[in-house]
Amino acid sequence: MPLGLYVSRCSGQLDGIVDVDAAIEGMDETAAVVRVFEDFFDPAAQERMIRDISDADLDAVVLAGHSIEHYTRSLSGQHLKQRLIDAGLNPNRVIAANVLEQVALVHADDPVGATSKARALIQVASLRATLAPVVEGIETDPKHSVLILGATTEGMVAAQRLLQLGYKVVVADRGAGLRSVQDSANLKATVSFVSGHPNAEFVDDARLSDGSGWLGDYSVTLAAPTGSAMFRVGGLLLARPDEPGWIEELRQHFKVDIDDQGRARSIDPSTHPAETVDSGIMVVPIRGASEEIATKVSAADSAALALVLKLSQPKTVHFVDVSQVDETLCGGCASCVKTCAFGACSIGEDGLSHVDIRRCRGCGKCVVSCPVGARDIVNSPHDYLIGAIRTLAEVDTQGGDKVVGFLCGGCGYPAGDHASVSVQAGNGSYPASFLPIRIPCGGRLDTLYVLEAFKQGFDGVTVFRCREGHCHNLIGNLDMDRRINLLRTVLRSRNIDDGRLRIIDISPFEGERFVEQVNEVFTSIGSFDNGKGGPQ
Amino acid sequence: MSKPRLAHVVLGGCEGCYVSLLDAGEGLLDLLGKVELVASPILAEDDLTECDVVIVEGAVTTEMDERKLLAARAASKTLIALGSCAVLGGIGGLRNLYPTREVLEDVYGEDKPSEGLPKLTRRVKALSDVVEVDISIPGCAPETEAIISALTNVVEGRDLDLPRRNLCDECAREKRALLEPTAEFLTDAVYGIMELDEIDPALCFLEQGVICMGPMTREGCGALCTGAGVPCRGCHGPSRHDFEQGAKMIDALAAVLPAGAIMFLDDLVGTGYRFSMPVSVFPEAYDHGGDEDA
Repeated sequence: MPLGLYVSRCSGQLDGIVDVDAAIEGMDETAAVVRVFEDFFDPAAQERMIRDISDADLDAVVLAGHSIEHYTRSLSGQHLKQRLIDAGLNPNRVIAANVLEQVALVHADDPVGATSKARALIQVASLRATLAPVVEGIETDPKHSVLILGATTEGMVAAQRLLQLGYKVVVADRGAGLRSVQDSANLKATVSFVSGHPNAEFVDDARLSDGSGWLGDYSVTLAAPTGSAMFRVGGLLLARPDEPGWIEELRQHFKVDIDDQGRARSIDPSTHPAETVDSGIMVVPIRGASEEIATKVSAADSAALALVLKLSQPKTVHFVDVSQVDETLCGGCASCVKTCAFGACSIGEDGLSHVDIRRCRGCGKCVVSCPVGARDIVNSPHDYLIGAIRTLAEVDTQGGDKVVGFLCGGCGYPAGDHASVSVQAGNGSYPASFLPIRIPCGGRLDTLYVLEAFKQGFDGVTVFRCREGHCHNLIGNLDMDRRINLLRTVLRSRNIDDGRLRIIDISPFEGERFVEQVNEVFTSIGSFDNGKGGPQ
Repeated sequence: MSKPRLAHVVLGGCEGCYVSLLDAGEGLLDLLGKVELVASPILAEDDLTECDVVIVEGAVTTEMDERKLLAARAASKTLIALGSCAVLGGIGGLRNLYPTREVLEDVYGEDKPSEGLPKLTRRVKALSDVVEVDISIPGCAPETEAIISALTNVVEGRDLDLPRRNLCDECAREKRALLEPTAEFLTDAVYGIMELDEIDPALCFLEQGVICMGPMTREGCGALCTGAGVPCRGCHGPSRHDFEQGAKMIDALAAVLPAGAIMFLDDLVGTGYRFSMPVSVFPEAYDHGGDEDA
């Protein structure tokens, strides 16, 4: 399988820290194309990659440079990834190796360590690019209808804009909302426009009792005193980021990140203020009910526009995160049914496990709970994670302690990226022998990975995961805690000090604390006499 | 054409597999009609040379076992690992959690024999740790019919495919609460089978708060234990060797039964690794004090 390996010097940010030539030395033996660019976001670099894809018939690409998060959260990253996909690559085979935020920007004091770490992370990304299954997307004709949660000023303004653009709207409010109570003369026209519009529907005293689906095609059930009704809509718009009732109910069915104050959080407050991790759910980016009306209106405009940009596409594509169940292995034990927090797993008439893909949020907990490995998760397959652990274990740390860090995609990994901000501000760094592996959720952490890491000789295993109540898979973090804490008994039975295994909760923007905690892990390792792992 | 030469070698174990084979009774005569039996506990003299098929039961527990196994491998075209000890290391593998000197002290106390006994290996090993195994028939002990049909297949040159699903597939006990996608544990506590006043004969053991190794265990026994009112103990081992039973027990049950109660089980490790310690990721405990060979 022809692999393209590209390294970005990130406009000089790698210079003097990561020796790029050493980091990729010999990799041209396995990769069909290896190129180093000054910057991926230079149009000429992208043109070159696109030509390579057809010339060398590439079917997987590694982009060594910015963080993995960059390709979902920044416009330039999204754009680059989309261009490569449009050029013929499968989205599951465009893989980032984070040699900037988690290497060059944090290990400027240790160029040798940084180079070894960068090399290993590129190898791990190559492994994933070649092991990841090709995924087929489900195409949807996006429905031009939107469910607005909250008949607030923001909700009514967004409704008006959407109606004017020909969308249908359903406006749900936990009470009666703004339809009769008009809080300003400026808004009177908006409220009367929306209230009288034939394409607008209102549900008062509503609760969100069920939800499934994806961008372009959601099913949402609203329960109200008048009865329950199911709505099929293309997108959802949360009129207030600080309405705890809607957030709590949304989180039961969809991925919604919350910040430290419990407000719905967008993927990037500066560049994507309205978009959330679920691409069809927008949140109006205001700070609270007390904001000026002009602020509310422009925030509502921005959220409505963000949603229209998605829904006005001729097709939207949803990628299913879980594989089919292996019928030769599944005996229908139902561990997955009890583990899934979204009710997506069930045992069918055939006695096998089935996934309702409209409910699956891709956390990977069912994969971990499956005692026979009958199912896998396509973006972080079992064989890849085992291979990643083995690859990172090979890193030469010049005799220093070596720690593998499993970083959850919700909080741990962004916090690891954010550590670069703290280090750049002069706050001190952490050892380059802390080697990260991104997992989609803490719940994806199989006990087998911890055992494998110790077996391969890691001195410590650290898991960074969301704080309690913040996991966007509801309880992925707590399920992981249960497993890992039970595994301590197994480690102790083998005379491995379970203090070497640490779980740390963190928020995405706690970069400084990330650094502190990693340093503390390294300090504590020195105090354990009892063996790590290592081949026996 | 001469009949295939069949040998049966016994290593460290209880010879229960052999008894299970003998249980075939007259069925044995059919098998014996098809082979030339050249080595077996039942023969006065063994001729372990140029065999077509060698059955090995028991685990490698002593240096003598190791020598016998190497000889068996060298003599055989097809080597069959018979029973949980041979395939997984078996129940005796739990000794791997202790240094051999402690094991000997515990067993013999002051009267530790000094001569004439083969040296214990540092740890109990499955056959596949020492030699290449062609066919594995797990079970403690494997069912008589399973042994006879496997042997018949092998001597007649047919392929043998073990089923790979977990035991729940063939267990007749009914699941109710397990099929409901709720966040609650099935029970408030975890019970030993003897602690329950009443056991529902038709309901899944997990739903009654009893740890059952069925989900972590390869099917093929016909779910005999669960049918007889005893939870599965996992003697067939995992369906995939890289999915060790002990760790996957934790992964599978942590959201099913109250995890806090699982933690305070008398013997979490012994439950999870009862038959498969020697093939687990860490097949023995580290001996940080340094262990001499016993």
